[in-house]
Amino acid sequence: MATADELAEAYGDWRGRCNANPRLAKMLRGWDRTVHLVTSDTGEGYTLSVAGSVLGELRSGLVGAPDLVVTATSEDFTDLFWGDLNPSEKYLNGEIVLAGSSEDVMRLDAMSMVAFLDQ
Amino acid sequence: MVVVGAGYAGLSAARNLVDAGLDVVVLEARGRVGGRVWSETTRAGALVDHGGQWIGPGQHHLQGWADDLGVTTFPTFGDGANVEIREGRRHLFTGLVPTSDREGSADAVAALLELDLLAHEVAPGEPWTHPDAIALDRRTLGDWVVSEVGSAAARAMITTATLGVFGAEPCELSLLYALAYAHGGGSMSALLRTAGGAQERRFHGGAQQMAVRVAEALGDRVVLDAPVSSVRHGPGRVSVTADRVTPDGHRRPWRVDADRVVVAIPPATQGRIAFDPPLPGRRDQLVQRSPMGSVTKIHAVYERPFWRDEGLSGQVVADTGALRLVFDDSPDDASHGVLMGFLAGHEDRILDGSGTAGRAAVALAELAAAFGPVAGSPIEVVEQHWSAEPFTRGGPVACLGPGVLTGCGPALREPVGPVHWAGTETATAWSGYIDGAISSGLRAADEVTAALGRPVRQGA
Repeated sequence: MATADELAEAYGDWRGRCNANPRLAKMLRGWDRTVHLVTSDTGEGYTLSVAGSVLGELRSGLVGAPDLVVTATSEDFTDLFWGDLNPSEKYLNGEIVLAGSSEDVMRLDAMSMVAFLDQ
Repeated sequence: MVVVGAGYAGLSAARNLVDAGLDVVVLEARGRVGGRVWSETTRAGALVDHGGQWIGPGQHHLQGWADDLGVTTFPTFGDGANVEIREGRRHLFTGLVPTSDREGSADAVAALLELDLLAHEVAPGEPWTHPDAIALDRRTLGDWVVSEVGSAAARAMITTATLGVFGAEPCELSLLYALAYAHGGGSMSALLRTAGGAQERRFHGGAQQMAVRVAEALGDRVVLDAPVSSVRHGPGRVSVTADRVTPDGHRRPWRVDADRVVVAIPPATQGRIAFDPPLPGRRDQLVQRSPMGSVTKIHAVYERPFWRDEGLSGQVVADTGALRLVFDDSPDDASHGVLMGFLAGHEDRILDGSGTAGRAAVALAELAAAFGPVAGSPIEVVEQHWSAEPFTRGGPVACLGPGVLTGCGPALREPVGPVHWAGTETATAWSGYIDGAISSGLRAADEVTAALGRPVRQGA
C-alpha cells in the first residue's frame, strides 16, 4: 500500500517525463480529458486533466465529470508512475481497469505503454 | 431456397431460413461442414483447429451459438514470458509489446494508436462513404507504414501483426480496407490481443463443433460433396447445379431449382461458379479483385507443454523467418503440449513448393530456436496449407488491394436478382471472423424472407 504522498510524488515524476516526451505530446494532441484515478485498496480518489497535449497536476478527490476512470491499487499506481510496472501486464490481468469510451481507453492504454517504454 | 456453402455463414443463413418456414437445401463442396473452421483429432490424439479457433469480447453471434449449443470456452494460455525473435536473436518479454528495443516498440504502439484513431472514422460496413475514402483506398497499408512509422523495428512489428491478422503483407492491402477491417473488430490493437482481444478464448472440443451440430439439426437438407458449378438465375427463380458425388463414386450434375439462392462462400471461390446470365460487371470485378490471404497453420504436438515449466507462455513474435507468430494451442487440460504457428503472406507462398515436410522442417527449426532443442522433436506435426485448399483458396480472409472498396464495395452485399451474398467478407462487424460469418448469414436470410414477403425475425 502506498501513501497519498508517495503516489503524488511518483505521479509528479511521471508527469515530468511524459510532458517532456515529444512522441507522447503528439499522441495527446487534441485529446483534452478529465481522468479519475481510484485506488481500490485505500478507497481514495484523484483527478488529473489533459489539456493542450500536457498532463496537469494531480488533484486530491474526484473532481468534475470524468471522461475516463482508472482503478488500481495505490501501489500499482505508484509503481506505474515510477516506471517500475509494465501497464500492459496489469491490463491483461485485469488488475488495472480502464473505464470510458473505446477511443479514450485506447488512447490512455497506448499512452501509458509508450510512457513505460520510453523511459 | 438453396444455400451454397456449409460454413458458418451458410449454416447461419440456412438455420434462419428454416426457422422462417422455408424449404432449404445446403450444397457443400467438401465432405464436411464448417468451411474455414475445421477441428481434427490428430494421430497422436490431440484435437487441433486447422482454421478459425478463437472467440473474443464483442463476438455476440458466435457466443450466442456456443450458449445455445452448450459449448464452453477456456482462456488462451498466456501465463509467463513471451519470446521475441528480433534480428535473429532471442529475447523474453511480458505484457503486450516486446521490450528489447523499447524505442521501436514505443514507435509501434504510437503508430497503432494512429491507425486505430483513423479506423474509428471509417464505417466498417460501408467504408466507401468516408469523406476521404478515395484517398485512403488509393494507398496501401504498406505506404502508410513507410510514411508514418519512423523506426525499422516498429515497421517490422506492424508487418508481423498484419501477417497474423490478414495473412497478407501490408503492401497488399488497401489502407481503407485495413481500417474498416480493424474497426469491425473494435481496433487493430484488439485484433492482436489474446486477453481482452480477438484471441481471448478457445472452445472445448474445437471451434467446428457448433457448425457440426447446426448441420445435424438441419439433417438431410445439408448435402456434402456437392461443389456448385453453375447458377442460372432469372426473375424470382434460380437453378443451381452441383457436381454431386454418386454412391458409385462418380460425379454427376445435380440440379436444384429454387426461388432464391444464398451464396455463402468466399469471393475467390464464387469466381469458379458459372453464373447465367453473367454477374453485373462491378460484382464480377469485385470477385476478381478479392484474393484470399496466404496462410498455413502448423501444429507441433508434444507429450506435454514443456515450455510452461520454464515460465514461458508459448507465444512468439518474430520480425523475420517463416513463423512470425506462435501460440500455445494445448488443450485446456494440458493432456498434450501443442505449439501452433502461422506461415503467412510472402513466406507462405515462398514455401508452397517445399511441401508439407519442407514447411515442417522450417517451422521446427524456428520453434527450436524459440523454445530449445526439445521443440524441434515433437511427436507429430500437422499442417493445413489453406493456400492450396480448393474450396477456400487461402485464408483467413479476402485481402482487398487499392481501389477495390471504392470501386466495387457497394456490390458486396447487393443482391443480383434472386442471388444473395453471405460470408464473413460481407459482414459489417468482425469481417474475417466466425462471428462475422454468422451475422452475414442472418442478414442474408433476412433479405430473402423480406423479398418473399415473409415476416422478418424479431430484432432484425
